[in-house]
Amino acid sequence: MRAMPKQDSTPVQRERLLERMTRFTRPSFFIQIGLLLALIMGPLVLSSFRVMDVIAKIMVFTVVVASYDLILGYTGIISFAHGMFFGLGAYSLALVIHHSGSPQWYHPFLALGVALPLSIVLALVIAFFSLRVKAIFFAMMTLALAEFAHILGIQWYDLTLAEDGVSFKLPGILSVDWSAGRFLAADVNGRLMTYYLILIVSVALFVGLLRFVRSPVGRVLKSIRENEQRSTALGFKTFKYQVFSTVFGSATASVAGILFAMWLRYVNPESVLGISTMLYILLMVIIGGLGTMYGSIIGAAFIKITETWLPDLQKLAVALFPNVDMIHRLAERWVLYFGILFILVVFFFPRGFVGKARDMITRRKMSSVEND
Amino acid sequence: MDSEIALAEPETRFALDAKKWAFRIGSVGIWVLPIIWIDVTTYLVLTVAGVTMGMLLFLTASGLTLIFGLMDVLNLAHGAFFAWGAYVGFSILNALNALGWVETGTLGQSAGSVLLALVVALAVGAMLGIALERIIIRQVYGDHLKQILITMGASLVMAEIIKIFWGPNDEVVLVPLAFQGSYDVMDVIVNKFRVVAIFIGGAVFLGIQLVLRKTKLGIIVRAGVENREIVQAMGYNINLIFTGVFAAGAALAAVGGTMWSIFKEQIHPAMGEENLIFALIVVIIGGLGSVTGSFLGAIMVGLAFNYVAFLLPKLALGVNILIMATILLIRPWGLMGRE
Amino acid sequence: MPEPILTLKDVHTHIGLHHVLQGVTFEVTAGRSTVLLGRNGSGKSTTLRTVMGLTPASSGQIKLDGKAIEERKPFEIARLGVGFVPEDQAVLYNLSVEENFRLAMLVENEQTWERMETIFELFPDLKKFWRSKAGILSGGQKQMLAIARAFVNDHQLLLIDEPSKGLAPIVVEQLGESLIQIKDKTTVILVEQNFNLASQVGADYFILDDGRVVHHGLIEDLVEDYEIKQKYLGIG
Repeated sequence: MRAMPKQDSTPVQRERLLERMTRFTRPSFFIQIGLLLALIMGPLVLSSFRVMDVIAKIMVFTVVVASYDLILGYTGIISFAHGMFFGLGAYSLALVIHHSGSPQWYHPFLALGVALPLSIVLALVIAFFSLRVKAIFFAMMTLALAEFAHILGIQWYDLTLAEDGVSFKLPGILSVDWSAGRFLAADVNGRLMTYYLILIVSVALFVGLLRFVRSPVGRVLKSIRENEQRSTALGFKTFKYQVFSTVFGSATASVAGILFAMWLRYVNPESVLGISTMLYILLMVIIGGLGTMYGSIIGAAFIKITETWLPDLQKLAVALFPNVDMIHRLAERWVLYFGILFILVVFFFPRGFVGKARDMITRRKMSSVEND
Repeated sequence: MDSEIALAEPETRFALDAKKWAFRIGSVGIWVLPIIWIDVTTYLVLTVAGVTMGMLLFLTASGLTLIFGLMDVLNLAHGAFFAWGAYVGFSILNALNALGWVETGTLGQSAGSVLLALVVALAVGAMLGIALERIIIRQVYGDHLKQILITMGASLVMAEIIKIFWGPNDEVVLVPLAFQGSYDVMDVIVNKFRVVAIFIGGAVFLGIQLVLRKTKLGIIVRAGVENREIVQAMGYNINLIFTGVFAAGAALAAVGGTMWSIFKEQIHPAMGEENLIFALIVVIIGGLGSVTGSFLGAIMVGLAFNYVAFLLPKLALGVNILIMATILLIRPWGLMGRE
Repeated sequence: MPEPILTLKDVHTHIGLHHVLQGVTFEVTAGRSTVLLGRNGSGKSTTLRTVMGLTPASSGQIKLDGKAIEERKPFEIARLGVGFVPEDQAVLYNLSVEENFRLAMLVENEQTWERMETIFELFPDLKKFWRSKAGILSGGQKQMLAIARAFVNDHQLLLIDEPSKGLAPIVVEQLGESLIQIKDKTTVILVEQNFNLASQVGADYFILDDGRVVHHGLIEDLVEDYEIKQKYLGIG
């Protein structure tokens, strides 16, 4: 490995070398390690099922949101079909297990074998379409397409069991029936195993996405996003990159869908194919920050935590005002507050939480440079 | 010499126009095709249903297309106006029913109830439109991504507020007595209210065309759709006109919602989003900024949906998406749009 | 000295990050048509657009007939009596010639229709195509329409941006004849690359270079001044 940069190396190469050399000493590295440790040890130390549930969902949605950020934030393609890919993955697992009678250990792989090709083909079609058609038309198309998938899910009873949804069990050690005693504060059972499977796959996918955006391909994407004409003039076949990133992002979302189905062991059209899923993804990516991978963690965490503990707040409100019906109704409609929050964030924090944080850090760095 | 050139042009113009019109007539005539698979009586019933649906879709789509054509604003909250119109109309009809006007009463009272419901829906739609435009849309002119996001958020908020006032469940809408039942025209059952809907839709279309082509306001709006800057430079406060057009579009959508709710005899909070998808398809097929385009597009979508729903129910929406995709690929400016 | 109808003082305009006007200062006298000359990119069109408020000034003063207008919106400036004929897309293709005119008319009264009579005399083609869509007119006719349209109101100032662009020489001649007639009835500020046309129409001139006024004077003097014409306009 080249330890010393050549005399005539470029600024980019020098920067990358510096980054690589200080990799293990930067504060962000410790945060990452700490986070990972917390995720691994968490369920072993805390015995609350609720906490494990929220964390599992956060992990899954982080992957969904990060893959959406790849498409929207990094490649600049406005698509509303992302929820559809997520639902596709979820239904793949559910239907594979349901239609075969009893869950087998190879079913998750089979589901992958169904979901991945399907989502890749669909994503290819969508990606090519996006290049032929103006951005706003494309956005509307994806909206219509997602709604169509939703309707198919509701109406195709023979395949999807429609609004009843599909309830299923997981095979082998992931099954709720499996148990093997205790370890630390946790019951070692199918739930715990599923949690760790989700952990491993989510982290792998997230790291994959991170590496992708930091890779040369990712850098080309950034240049395309900032100035497509110049990129084309520089010789990059921009459409190849856009197609690749769309396919990669969409396929990742369907894998996340499989994980989600694994955790809930129940899917229905509304929960995985409905427009609300897409809206939540949008909300999470905006709050976290477009074009910032880590923002997806923040966005997903914020929404999922709020979602989980809001019913408690609701009960509190009802308890405080037992006779005021309007308060009850207002408390129930927490989606309303998400909507308002969304609007406020788009107005005031268009770059999201992480974006704002990065702006503040940059500003502080610049003012300290001035003060020297 | 110039005048000679200009005179020669109309002939080549005619050839190009002929192609355009052939395309348009062809795309409408294609709907006669389903007679191959459907018996004539059913076909006629479906056609009436399709035209009705088209008329009602037109109400929402016309506003959407003008807003996009004039203001270059992508308003994904348009469906929410539709839903609000439906719910407000529902309440008005219930209130009038308590006075004996709706489920019982004379033709005059039935007509009056519908009229009152429409007028109130129109007013509410206009007010919501003004409010949305001034508070939110104004801030995001020119930024399509922000428009998409913000109007989605607004749509969500407006739908939730409906649930606060009216509850989250489906509701049954009362059909005024005089419009209940159907006519039997040579074995073809034609629902009475559908006739009303077709009349109202047609009247609105003619009304809009009259305003657009005969009044100064119409000229300003049509000019603004083509070139906003020039209209400003000519001395017109384009912002005021924007608000006005936005409010008018919202009002039309609300009227559409009320009519739809009586047509389907039910309402539910998600109806706004569903309608929006159709409206978007219509607007794309018809061409952004063209009212005639959205009229033709709406009829086309309504017919397609009803024919396919009869033959292959699950694919009804899919067929419309297919049409939209085809148009986007071969004639992206829509049927009546301009390159 | 008659009162200036338009004054610009140290006007700066930014378009995005480009500093296009870098301190433009000049005066236009009422009744004396003025020409803005200069190479491509010198800021001539932007000057007109800034006066009209379409590309607002970032700093500086603009006074119309003594009133400050640098903060006003385009429609207010139009109503104060300024007409504008932009470089491209001045005419609305989907409207008929008649509708183009009706749009332009801020008021419709006897005077307006009297002016229409004058316009029909100056531009007979417009009467011929009165009900036709403006899009079918030839390039020259479209320009005539654009200019005539700006003239239909009793404006005190007409801003005209490169009317001869893309037109055949014989059409430019016709254009010149109409402009000569118009300039006597109102004050015209003309941006032009075609020096011939400019010298027919203008009385005073200002040369812009790099967003600043670098030379000014009387057109009749400039016609003979080959040195200046070569230096700033690349002709002569």
